Amino acid sequence: MKLKTYCYQCVAGPDLLEVEVKDGVATEVTPNFDAAGIHPGGGRVCVKAYGLVQKLYNPNRVRSPMKRTNPRKGRDEDPGFVPISWDEAFDLIAGKLNSIRSKGLLDESGYPRVAASFGGGGTPQSYMGTFPAFLGAWGPVDMGFGSGQGVKCTHSEHLYGEFWHRAFTVSPDTPLAEYVISCGANTEASGGVVGVWRHAQARIRGLKRVQVEPHLSITGACSAQWVPIKPKTDAAFLYALIHVMLFEHPRERLDLKFLQDHTSSPYLVGPNGFFLRDPETKEPLISDTLEASCVRDAVEIGPDEEILSRGQLQGETAFAKLLAHMKPYTPEWAQGVCDVSAAAIRRIAKEYLDHAHIGETIQIDGKTLPFRPVAVALGKTVNNGWGGFECCWARTMLAALVGALEVPGGTLGTTVRLNRPLSERHASVRPGPDGFMAYPLNPTDKAHWSAAPNIRNAYRTLVPLAADGPWSQALGPTHFSWMFLGETPPGLPRVTYPELWFVYRTNPAISFWDTRQVAERMAQFPFVVALAYTRDETNHFADVLLPDQMDLESLQLIYVGGSKYIEQFWKHEGYALRQPVVKPAVDARDFTDIATELAKRTGLLERYNASINRGTAGVPLKGETWDFSLDTSKAHSRDEIWNAVCQAASAELTGGKETQGLEWWKAHGLRVKPFPQSDWYLFPTLAAQGLRFELPYQERLWRVGRELERRLHEHDMRWWDFQLAEYQPLPAYKDFPAIWEGQLRSAGGSPQDYPFWLLTSRSMQYAWGGNVAMQLIREVAENVAGHGGVIINAKRATELGIAEGDAVEIATPKARVRARAVLRQGIRPDTLLLIAQFDHWATPYAKDFGVPSLNRLAPMSLQLTDATGSGADVVRVSLKRAA
Amino acid sequence: MSSHFGPNPWIQQHWDWRASGNFVFGGAGSGLLLAAALALPLGPARGVSMALGLLLVALGLFSVLMKIGKPLRALHVFYNPRTSWMAREAWVAPPLFATAVYAFLRPSTQAEILFGAAALAYAWCQARILHAAKGIPAWREPRLIPFIVATALTEGASVAALVALAYGTPSRLVYGLVAAALLARAGAWFSYSVKIAPVLAGRARDALQAVTPVLLWFGTFGALALIAAASALPRAYAWPLVAAAAAAAVGTGWRAKHVLVTRAALNQGFSLPKVPVRGAR
Amino acid sequence: MTRWAMVADLRRCVGCQTCTAACKHTNATPPEVQWRRVLDMEVGEYPEVKRVFVPVGCQHCADPPCMHVCPTTATRKRDDGVVTIDYDLCIGCDYCAVACPYQARYRVKAPTYAYGAPIASEAKQHDSRRVGVSTKCTFCADRVDAGLAAGRKPGVDPEATPACVNSCIAQALHFGDAADPASNVSQLLAENQFFRMHEELGTEPNFYYLWDRK
Repeated sequence: MKLKTYCYQCVAGPDLLEVEVKDGVATEVTPNFDAAGIHPGGGRVCVKAYGLVQKLYNPNRVRSPMKRTNPRKGRDEDPGFVPISWDEAFDLIAGKLNSIRSKGLLDESGYPRVAASFGGGGTPQSYMGTFPAFLGAWGPVDMGFGSGQGVKCTHSEHLYGEFWHRAFTVSPDTPLAEYVISCGANTEASGGVVGVWRHAQARIRGLKRVQVEPHLSITGACSAQWVPIKPKTDAAFLYALIHVMLFEHPRERLDLKFLQDHTSSPYLVGPNGFFLRDPETKEPLISDTLEASCVRDAVEIGPDEEILSRGQLQGETAFAKLLAHMKPYTPEWAQGVCDVSAAAIRRIAKEYLDHAHIGETIQIDGKTLPFRPVAVALGKTVNNGWGGFECCWARTMLAALVGALEVPGGTLGTTVRLNRPLSERHASVRPGPDGFMAYPLNPTDKAHWSAAPNIRNAYRTLVPLAADGPWSQALGPTHFSWMFLGETPPGLPRVTYPELWFVYRTNPAISFWDTRQVAERMAQFPFVVALAYTRDETNHFADVLLPDQMDLESLQLIYVGGSKYIEQFWKHEGYALRQPVVKPAVDARDFTDIATELAKRTGLLERYNASINRGTAGVPLKGETWDFSLDTSKAHSRDEIWNAVCQAASAELTGGKETQGLEWWKAHGLRVKPFPQSDWYLFPTLAAQGLRFELPYQERLWRVGRELERRLHEHDMRWWDFQLAEYQPLPAYKDFPAIWEGQLRSAGGSPQDYPFWLLTSRSMQYAWGGNVAMQLIREVAENVAGHGGVIINAKRATELGIAEGDAVEIATPKARVRARAVLRQGIRPDTLLLIAQFDHWATPYAKDFGVPSLNRLAPMSLQLTDATGSGADVVRVSLKRAA
Repeated sequence: MSSHFGPNPWIQQHWDWRASGNFVFGGAGSGLLLAAALALPLGPARGVSMALGLLLVALGLFSVLMKIGKPLRALHVFYNPRTSWMAREAWVAPPLFATAVYAFLRPSTQAEILFGAAALAYAWCQARILHAAKGIPAWREPRLIPFIVATALTEGASVAALVALAYGTPSRLVYGLVAAALLARAGAWFSYSVKIAPVLAGRARDALQAVTPVLLWFGTFGALALIAAASALPRAYAWPLVAAAAAAAVGTGWRAKHVLVTRAALNQGFSLPKVPVRGAR
Repeated sequence: MTRWAMVADLRRCVGCQTCTAACKHTNATPPEVQWRRVLDMEVGEYPEVKRVFVPVGCQHCADPPCMHVCPTTATRKRDDGVVTIDYDLCIGCDYCAVACPYQARYRVKAPTYAYGAPIASEAKQHDSRRVGVSTKCTFCADRVDAGLAAGRKPGVDPEATPACVNSCIAQALHFGDAADPASNVSQLLAENQFFRMHEELGTEPNFYYLWDRK
């Protein structure tokens, strides 16, 4: 018997699969070939899904609810977990929750008393059933204790990407692209089934991808060319490309019409760096030509609505400003900074222009759209942390210069998570100020900015671009939640420990930075409820372990299709069901039943059910002609709830014609309706509303930055000044590697003594965690170089007397780890690479790997935090043979 | 990454000392039987040599039996003499035992020829077993065949000389056979190792090259000098010299075979004649 | 006459090991036994280095050295080119393993499991006949045969196609009848440049590696 379900264990999913079940035993995972024509990866699942059978039967699973008996918490303390009944577990948790509720949901500092952390870029939501409805019913919850989000995601891309083109993540239009410059985007390891599928097709079609990165990743391997670049200098490379296009090729090689009509290029900029505006309407003044300098009757408005100048004002177009700004960034300059030859930079710039097809169009869904098959992709560590802003800006500029932004073949956004509605990217395109799209910036004006954050990481106070939606908490400086527990900087209410912390599908004690410090902080948390698959490094500090039914045991319907993260561009949209394929292998409960029980025991059932009725489970239960709403007064079983959701989904997809419930979905697994390919492209939607892309000149961000500076200084908060420098109308290149060297010095080291850049890289087998305990995954991952140790340039290693397999020590002034040497040719001599994030000390099976992690060495540091609140996985280290 | 999974060649992990035991003991045993047929006159020395030879062959077969996964099915080894040298070796073993016993009980020139031929066939099969293993460059090299046969005869002849001496029947013939076999073996090794060393790398090559000086200085020239001296000395003085020569000849031969099977046996690994074109060039 | 063949497009392969894992599922091989696996190779020296992912396993040679050396006739070649092992004949001498130039053969000496004791899925699929004897990729011959019997086309219909091919997320692995000029694999071989591994050894593998278009 084969049962259909989905895998959403990484953010590049979901993907669809079938599970072979023999006599009630799951034996085999296979693709769902029935979905081959719908799923953009041919109905296949990646290697991770093949770990699910072992994940189900892993003898190391937490087999029943457990409670801690040792009140002392610490890495070296045995928690003394003992099995308890589900009833006792719920009593413990509900007792705590009810006592919190009686005290008030916020504590004396104004922070939520309840916190929750989920991992995996939003993927746990596809496994947590109706728990979001419980959290919604509860009220304020601090979801800003990071387990990687914020600092390890493609953070600058998320924030600036959404700002510029509704691109929470950015992708080339791979099926049509001809030329892609990829700075460290490791699509073949992190792009999931669909990413791999689309790029493999594109390679055969002749797509030329130039991979620019310090080590030869999987994606570098699968590219036409590898350009080794010095870590954290990608912005210099990208700036030089822009320079070459602006100064070494005829202007006509650019898409001048696009720049004139669809960007801020012709906006006139005044002497103080703000747009010249019509004195009456306050609308920006726009030049008829791209490169103009003129005098106009105008007003220039600065931060806090201040009139900076008025009258006959000298203005220069944003494009002219761009020219002057980019003039110094020659290929020769870049070569000295990033170690890529000027000739290579010129060649790549030329090839990009040669493939841009300026002026050409293509028919998609009967619509005539511009065809610009060139794109730039950025990877993690390039598009987050210092330099991330500059790289994202340069990437988006490279697209804008040739009109390749949000058009077929070009650089595309995928989905929105900060703008609303979350479900529909095009609907988030609404007119904002000055002819650009609206963006829900956190307020920086005097009346609305607040020095009292809603949660501990202070995203609303410090990061205007993080917006204030459901995802914003996780997109603030999530390391601050951990850091400020030690010492809260002046101006913020003292950061407190949450009284109750829910943890699900995340392991910050492994996946964050300075994992020792994170673990020490965790040990102080008074009450931790961990939804637990196996024992791990985070739930080592828990008070209650709750085994929720795992992927193949539980039930949930999720939205699939449209355009989603990474490379998930579908031509359909609809819903897919995850269903129990076998009886639970342990005494686990479905997360939906756990959520319902918690709601019941905390008196929140009405609000919980109402939340589900509104659509928190993925589909509003009431539509135009249908109503499957739950009776809010009573507790419903898992199957009752999801049956209603399934019926509503059926009705939604068929306009109310069909209303099949759970049984139909269990048999079919998937139901979709067409999603037009033309909806992959945002450009027509902007053009139809007469809106422009907010490039090249960042007047709005410049203003916001100045306002934020004033607000912070008004509250004597000067510790964010370094970050405020990021708010620039045209970002200047800064010496980014020097920021890490500076941090090294402040930690007591010198760059000479710590000459290596330690980086990390994605492993498809282990991406997004959750399967380190699978023997199968370990076994097959060992076929991929680097899973057993630290990758070192072979020649450099030999010079240091290090041979393959030798034990080596990697150190910072504060911490040191041991690893086995893996000698490879595909890495710069100044770079070391530790794949994925291991270093487990509690997780059964994984704790015996003996492979370290960058996370132990990476410091949590204000200095290394950029203005968006993110950092990057880069550490300066020393390397020597271990004694 | 586990270094056991290439892609550079790695030392085969399938055949261990038990597999090499077949070549070590079986080679020496068949060599001893062959030497007995060629150079020992009828008498106790030949009888003892033949018994010892059969014992060594049996020890070799027992060694393999200890290694295989399904020892209870050992008789399946006879199923494929059509193409398999291992099956052929198995087929030769019973006649070898039978003819040797027959020759012991009913000595005759024909019987000598029969068991001598069976012994040679056994050694030949062993050489061809290695040669047919296409996955191991150091084994499939044709120049290994003469060495395997020559070392079998060398080991056997030197033991035969010692046994002959023990029973007071040393002869120029047996000393001459030892000397000739030693020289032939040295030549075969030299020819083989010169050809194969460049094919190997790393520890496998080091192991192979470490065989050469020992095999030449101790196993050949040392043994030759001892045999030469022994042949000119009375028995009381000769036997320690012959014993030493036999030890040198046998020890170096066994070591060479053990190294070949277990330590120099790099497999084929993987190599690419072309690198794939990813997208455009 | 049918001649089953595997085609691996090295331009597509990303070394993800999905095929490795899928093979282990379908064929229920014990830990460390990988009838299909993908090598992670480097060619050249920094900075002029290429990294190549190469699916390997039994090459189902037309002239298989493993078959010739097998003393028991356990290893045989079917008329359709599939090289098979009769687990009831094999004595586990490993001669085939050293004769194979592709390191494709495995033998476990005792039952082994992912976590020591067998988990439910392992217990369900355990086959004691495979302990102590030589095993290797079968080209999923049982799937191919069952598929053919059900009127399916191997290499086209998933039910009749080897698990590794079905699972491949890059469409790098293809399976089909190389003797049929109209088949998927024949088309790929006609349109692209290819090589076979260790061609100089004369084993005539039925496993082809594509590396460029013609």
